[in-house]
Amino acid sequence: MIEVQELSKRYGKTQAVARLSFTVEPGTITGFLGPNGAGKSTTLRSVLGLVHPDSGGATVLGVPYARLDRPLHRVGAVLEASEVHPGRSGRNHLRVQAAAAGIPASRADEVLALVELTAAGRKRVKGYSLGMRQRLGLATALLGDPEVLVLDEPANGLDPAGIRWLRDLLRALAAEGRTILVSSHVLAEVAQTVDRVVIVHRGELIRQASVAEVLAGARGLTRVRTPDAERLRTVLAAAGATAEPGGDALLVDLPPERVGELAAANGVILHELGVEQATLEEVFLELTGGETTQ
Amino acid sequence: MIALVRAELLKIRTTRSWWGYLTAVVVLVGIATAGNIGSTSGDGRSTVSFAVSLVDGAGIAALLAIVLGITVVTTEFRHGTVTPAFLAEPRRERVLAAKALATTLVALFLDVVALLVVVVLGGILLAVLGAENHLLAADSLQRAALTLLVAVLWGLLGVSIGSLVHGQVAAIVGTLIWIFLGETLLWGLFALLHVNGLRAYLPFQALDAADGTGGGDLLSTPAGIAVSLGWIAGLGALGLLRTRRRDIS
Repeated sequence: MIEVQELSKRYGKTQAVARLSFTVEPGTITGFLGPNGAGKSTTLRSVLGLVHPDSGGATVLGVPYARLDRPLHRVGAVLEASEVHPGRSGRNHLRVQAAAAGIPASRADEVLALVELTAAGRKRVKGYSLGMRQRLGLATALLGDPEVLVLDEPANGLDPAGIRWLRDLLRALAAEGRTILVSSHVLAEVAQTVDRVVIVHRGELIRQASVAEVLAGARGLTRVRTPDAERLRTVLAAAGATAEPGGDALLVDLPPERVGELAAANGVILHELGVEQATLEEVFLELTGGETTQ
Repeated sequence: MIALVRAELLKIRTTRSWWGYLTAVVVLVGIATAGNIGSTSGDGRSTVSFAVSLVDGAGIAALLAIVLGITVVTTEFRHGTVTPAFLAEPRRERVLAAKALATTLVALFLDVVALLVVVVLGGILLAVLGAENHLLAADSLQRAALTLLVAVLWGLLGVSIGSLVHGQVAAIVGTLIWIFLGETLLWGLFALLHVNGLRAYLPFQALDAADGTGGGDLLSTPAGIAVSLGWIAGLGALGLLRTRRRDIS
């Protein structure tokens, strides 16, 4: 659906993207994650034919974006929310884009209603909040009813209610069978929405997998509660494990089976034994070396 | 291509600067017409050559057309709207071609408005002053047709310049400085190098020759049109290369 192959792009001394390859499967929502400056925007703009890569390339629906016939009917994109003439009304912005793609002007009002911006449609974009501009961007992307959506940080500037609205909209769009690639530097924004993640850092691919795989592969800790914590720690230390206090329990870097065996062999009473699942946020922080803004 | 031209015309009509162009053309041509009539005495107002000079006043539309041509391209880079424009049509040469066509249509429109101001306001003032009205004489109409052609040439040169210099302020200010100062300075250089003949080939000398209003050492009207088209094509080709290669980031 979207295929990025060995993409490299350098701006001056900065290697924005380095031999990056990944695929976005049809019908999925893929989160494109990485800290600010990881090369996400450069990658998305290369996919859309706006930036010329130094080497490698990308295809959308099997061909480079520039070779798509009637591209707005196939691919919708939201890049920066500020890419609108401030003196033009939101509705006219949509009508211009519709005219360029041969889409009837009535569709502009439809997408305005879809993103709940009808009331402000005839006002100049100058007076829009960042959240309203994001909605206008989404409306622009949806003009051609495309099967693929590419969204660059669409949650920027949205309040919590707006983020929830965006999540529901993306879910609804994916349920209609669309393929969505959505970038973010704040994992929490998309963690509950995406099926798969592509994690990049300093222009390089760190991980490409389903959310379930990433969580499964993450180092889970065993949570154990005992009335005799001191003794259990000694036993675990003798077995080469580390145990750190976590609330009223201990978090141990051994599987629960092994912790249970060690406790039984040494006669330590356990009140609770379970697995502490790593969150996607923790995995993300670990993989990108903690460089994120939230 | 028709869809792209329609989009470009809609872009021009949906910002306030559109009303600025219309107001400017009406006010400036109005002032020029009234001023010309007011500063000409009695019998002088009744000649065909005076009517032709009134029609020349509509040439102000050409100056607005070049600013329009530059702006039509550079405003997209200024406000980032070049991103949606190139998403809708990734073949950038087609976007620039649509801009050139839209600019041609709007330049013609602005010049028609200018000519209407000359004919209506000039007609009223001449009638009030009891002078003969030759504004619709054959010579006047021929000159009017030339102002239409020249407005289009100026507009197209603007599109070529804007495609090459994407910074809006730099492109407009640079062009105005070039028109009012740059070519004159080059004359001095040409004189030093004993190549005065090159003067007539400078872009705005050629454009002046194209409308037939220039002085004696300019090119003929057909040669002026040809050289103007050469500048439009040359700068346009460079602008096309620049715009195609540019990363929109």
